[in-house]
Amino acid sequence: MSKESDKLYSTLEKEALICGRCGYCRSACPVYQVVGWESAAPRGKISMARDIFSKKQTSPITDDFVKRLSQCTLCGACANECSTSIDTRKLWLDLRKRIADLGKQPKAYDAIRDNLLANKNITTFDNADRLEWAQDLDEPEQLEPRAGADVCYFVGCVSAFFPQAAQIPLAVAEILTEAEVDFTTMGGEEWCCGFPLIGSGFVDDSKQFIKHNVDKIKEFEIHTLIASCASCYHVWKHDSEEALAGYELEVLHTTEYLARLIKEGKIELNELDEVVTYHDPCDLGRNSGIYDAPREIINSIPGIKFVEMQHHHQASLCCGGGGNLQSVDADVASKIAHLRAEEIKATGATIIVSACQQCEQMLTTAIREAKLPVKVMDLSQLILEAMG
Amino acid sequence: MNKEIVQKMLEKYGDRATDSMFERSLYARDLAPVPAILANMLIKTLPDIVVRPSNTEEVAAIMKTAFANNIPVTPRAGASTVYFNSVPTKSGILMDLNLIKGIVGLDEEGMTVTVKAGTTWSELDEFLNNQGLAPKSFPSSAPAATIGGWFCMMGYGIGSMKYGSLLSQVKSIEVVLPDGSIKKVSQETNPALDWFVSSEGTLGIITQLEVEVRKLTNMKHFLLQLPDARKMLDTMKTIIDAPVVPYNMHFSDQECLKAMKALGFSPANMDIGCIIGIDYEGSDEELKQAQEIIDSLAVANKLVNPIPQESAELEWEERFKALKLKRGGPSVLGAEVWLPIKGLPAYLEDVQKMARGYGLNLFSYGHVVTPEYATVMTTFYADETQTIKYIINLSLVKKIHDIGHRYGGNPYGVGLWNSPMIGRIHQPPQLGELRKRKQAMDSKGIMNPGKVYRAPLMLNPFNYSLGMNVLAGVRRVFGKGW
Repeated sequence: MSKESDKLYSTLEKEALICGRCGYCRSACPVYQVVGWESAAPRGKISMARDIFSKKQTSPITDDFVKRLSQCTLCGACANECSTSIDTRKLWLDLRKRIADLGKQPKAYDAIRDNLLANKNITTFDNADRLEWAQDLDEPEQLEPRAGADVCYFVGCVSAFFPQAAQIPLAVAEILTEAEVDFTTMGGEEWCCGFPLIGSGFVDDSKQFIKHNVDKIKEFEIHTLIASCASCYHVWKHDSEEALAGYELEVLHTTEYLARLIKEGKIELNELDEVVTYHDPCDLGRNSGIYDAPREIINSIPGIKFVEMQHHHQASLCCGGGGNLQSVDADVASKIAHLRAEEIKATGATIIVSACQQCEQMLTTAIREAKLPVKVMDLSQLILEAMG
Repeated sequence: MNKEIVQKMLEKYGDRATDSMFERSLYARDLAPVPAILANMLIKTLPDIVVRPSNTEEVAAIMKTAFANNIPVTPRAGASTVYFNSVPTKSGILMDLNLIKGIVGLDEEGMTVTVKAGTTWSELDEFLNNQGLAPKSFPSSAPAATIGGWFCMMGYGIGSMKYGSLLSQVKSIEVVLPDGSIKKVSQETNPALDWFVSSEGTLGIITQLEVEVRKLTNMKHFLLQLPDARKMLDTMKTIIDAPVVPYNMHFSDQECLKAMKALGFSPANMDIGCIIGIDYEGSDEELKQAQEIIDSLAVANKLVNPIPQESAELEWEERFKALKLKRGGPSVLGAEVWLPIKGLPAYLEDVQKMARGYGLNLFSYGHVVTPEYATVMTTFYADETQTIKYIINLSLVKKIHDIGHRYGGNPYGVGLWNSPMIGRIHQPPQLGELRKRKQAMDSKGIMNPGKVYRAPLMLNPFNYSLGMNVLAGVRRVFGKGW
């Protein structure tokens, strides 16, 4: 017998008909929780998709429909609840692709694509400056791409270019150095992982980004890749299989790799007297099944009291930052982050740790706005602090 | 609906009210994929305005406006039913009650919780579990169904076998009456609590309920395979008569097992005979006794085949996912019948005769919810994209109900679509009493009109019966394989 977690997907036309409109998805959807209208609930969107695509396009694709489709963080909570086992995350991506193929995507998605095609990263900075953050390290030149290294750290656009996120790659690099890991980066040869394009419906465009990155990994003869961004990790793990066919590459999230180093005794952790809670990034947890490694790390730090939030593991609540939602509706994204901030507050934690720079950025803002005495950290930063 | 009133409500409730066609269209449907051509011929499903009140006072204010202006009001929360119970029949105001949610208070000494009506059963369960407590019973659609919504239906489901109907567990409710007044109702008040159970939102809008709770205890789950429905009934009776009352008992017939197996969902990959799932909760001593009861069944009769515990536990985990059968669809049509369990074998036999007669597969599953009664869902696959065939297939729903009626059953829930069969659900004096109550509480007929008490003209029992029988005849002759 299949378990409910086995998600299924055939075609958009079929799945939209299979949806039973039971509304389990609605109860779990963070967007519905803050918008409140049936049209914002997954079952409402699928119901409209059924009228448009399953019933021979008897209904038009309206701007309202496109707006609602874009109001989704791709968190996968709906897929987790679906009573007919529909992989709704795939369905949303399929729908966004259909909309993009018809040229009806939101303007914000065009801006994302145009920028990525021009700059190869999500900012307007020169992609060659991807190692700018490393200037704070003792020997930044050691991070320049190097063939044959044991491990390649895929830094990701946010960590590479956003000053407020730079502490994450710095922490990762310091830990790896301390643990004497033979590692490198792709430097300016790293392109965006392609996730923003996949999430906008420009799947074909994303393929050239994936291909480029895979080609470089092959060229550098890398066989272990680690990513600290949950979405980058998700693309490497789940969307790069075709490009990687025949090439042996172990893809790990930094939390998995760092948990391994701790188990191997290569990292020594000192006592920290803190109450810590953990936010599961959707692309790492629910959408990739990585729940244990981050918790193992936290619990391996002496002195820490670990507390779970009301919603955790598979039922974790999204931070609001996924699915390109911020680019189309920053207000909805922010309200979702505030829901999560309430759950953080209820734990009484002094530190909220996550494993995704986008989550950390969303939660930092929400916690600041809610005036909570809580520090937001990436797990790598927590480890570094415990290393003293 | 008067445009000025719509405008005033839009201004008053801001972003919690809408007259946008895009938004309203999604409130003109529920789980049932009824072709618009059919629904629009009979009723006006599109509300003029949708409002989302956030508290009892706002519900009351909206009702006062509706009462003063004779505007129909349709209450709606989870909208997880299939009979258009929460779909308008005369346009008007649709009141979306999903903001009226949350826990009001927990009385651990009195073992009751006071909860707002728009809270889902899963939300209440989560809250109570954190306190070491649990709801006594809940619907098999708990992730979406609300406390108020289930009370407005019949309120039988998981846990009813041990703890009775929801009515027996509710101490009091807060309800907004059609004139906008707010009343606390218990079994001692006039009107009494039992007026509102199964009223499907036709007497007022329930905003808060005080419900009994139980201690959260350990559970034990069992699955038994039986060779046929008669043996299944014998086994059910033995279990029911045993000293420990099961918390929940559900079953599937062979066709249902086959369909589930074909989809990869069948427990232990079975497709022969029937299964009964039995779930116990209680003290360790009770659970030990339960184990002995189930073990003794298999010892006493070699035809009773216990399925490994792991499958039984997985079956319990999947208790809210009966809809997964729909993956074989794309659409599913069916009937839910409130049936005396003594008639279950004959009902299932006749259902299979019907299946052969019409050349289709009929799948049956259900819950035993009292020592005498079960709710039985019998379904078949259809394709809503084939409108004509689909409408003709709708006639078979009545044919399933006819079989249920033959064995003392009747439709479970009324709404709009079962209203032509209201005479089967209630005896004439009982129906007369219900209509008197409706008249007394809602003389203007604005509260969820078109439901429960009598069918709309075109769906009156004679027209309905004639129409459905003709369509079923067409289906029998021309529709094999549809």
